[in-house]
Amino acid sequence: MSHAPAASHAPLKMGIPIPNSKLGMWLFLGTEIMFFTAFIGTYIVCRLGSPGWPQDTEVTHISIWAGGFNTFVLLTSSFFVVKAHEAMVDKRFQKANKYVWGTLLLGFVFLGVKGYEYKGKWDHDILPHHIPETEAAAVYKGLGLLNAVVQSELVDLTVHLESDPERLKRDPDQLKPLEREERHAAVQAEIADQPELPERLAELQAYNALFAELSRLKDADQREALSLHDFEHELEAMHANQQYGGLIAHVHAPHPIKYGNLFASIYFLLTGFHALHVIIGLILFAFVLKQGNRLNSAWTDWVENSGLYWHFVDLVWIFLFPLIYII
Amino acid sequence: MSDHHNSHVNYLAVFIALCVFTGISVLTDVIHIPNKAVLAVIVLAVASAKALCVMAFFMHLKFEGKWKYVLLAPTTILAIGLPLALLPDVGVHYYMIDVPQIEAGESESGHSAESAADADEHGDSHTSEHEAAETEH
Repeated sequence: MSHAPAASHAPLKMGIPIPNSKLGMWLFLGTEIMFFTAFIGTYIVCRLGSPGWPQDTEVTHISIWAGGFNTFVLLTSSFFVVKAHEAMVDKRFQKANKYVWGTLLLGFVFLGVKGYEYKGKWDHDILPHHIPETEAAAVYKGLGLLNAVVQSELVDLTVHLESDPERLKRDPDQLKPLEREERHAAVQAEIADQPELPERLAELQAYNALFAELSRLKDADQREALSLHDFEHELEAMHANQQYGGLIAHVHAPHPIKYGNLFASIYFLLTGFHALHVIIGLILFAFVLKQGNRLNSAWTDWVENSGLYWHFVDLVWIFLFPLIYII
Repeated sequence: MSDHHNSHVNYLAVFIALCVFTGISVLTDVIHIPNKAVLAVIVLAVASAKALCVMAFFMHLKFEGKWKYVLLAPTTILAIGLPLALLPDVGVHYYMIDVPQIEAGESESGHSAESAADADEHGDSHTSEHEAAETEH
């Protein structure tokens, strides 16, 4: 018996009645669902297990309006993508091209707002591993901020001792402990020699007074005799100091935020991975736009599949918005 | 394939519905609902409704064949299973644990160092690390 296929029959199509590329995209989205629910689920579980989770928007610097606006931007872009696909199916390629352009621009608007929000987090130092969660940690951080001022003053005052002045300007923390001692001694020697310029002497003495004050506070902290309340008072008095108050005007006493680091880690993990997906989506659309007037039916599946991906990115944001910005 | 069916969908109506849902979510924040559980139920229900709209119409799942169930059921089950599996251990405090953050919050002021040291006696590694960092400082 012969098993040769009859020439008159249509070629046999095995499996699911959709293009392979679409099946591939859906399988990929299946893995993406697990990827994001792992993070979102972890966030929910961690949050339920952390009584006192930071919620005050004054503390978290989360703006409902930024989140709401970005939700609107992504929804509009999703609408544009679906219209683009509709136009592709109708073979109205110019129209499709316009909608894809709209999607691309809205994607950039989304990233711009996100970048603005990240900048705010950066400026307020709401970053993982940067947030004091207890009063003792807040004092520790406050002393660190004062210490940074002292170090950078020392670098500035002793810049003539440096063979490569740019090295330490870039990062005063590169000053090694031994170097620090040497330079501190150099400042003392210069004060003893009474420099000719009165401004120079004032600068050196301001550094010296600030250094002495910081050493006293560090010492009190070591003896566990410096509460956050004490530190706030000390800092207030230091701000009012004529000699060095100007140097530390930007230093404020940090406030403890319970679970602040976990909050910041989760915030950046969730929104960061989401933003990465937005960027990848924009690259997919850029390939379509690169076709320009040459856009044709061969690209219909590409537009549909990138659209599915884009809608998924929108879906993730639909859940991130209430979970991060509202609850 | 699905293309003949979904040409009837009024995408603009779906988009407007999604915007209205977003407006409701923002409104819940503006009017300030003090009960967090009620707030969570409302906004997550709204989010689920939005998600269903996007999946059904924008992603055309309403018009796709039965393969969608085969493809999406396993991933959905696993995705829901993970948080549920973690929940009893991390999310629900059915046993007492030493958390320095909680102790620091309870002691009003000036006692934080004491309570941190106390927690350290119970072998809390976070507290020891923090104290080590302080000494180094």
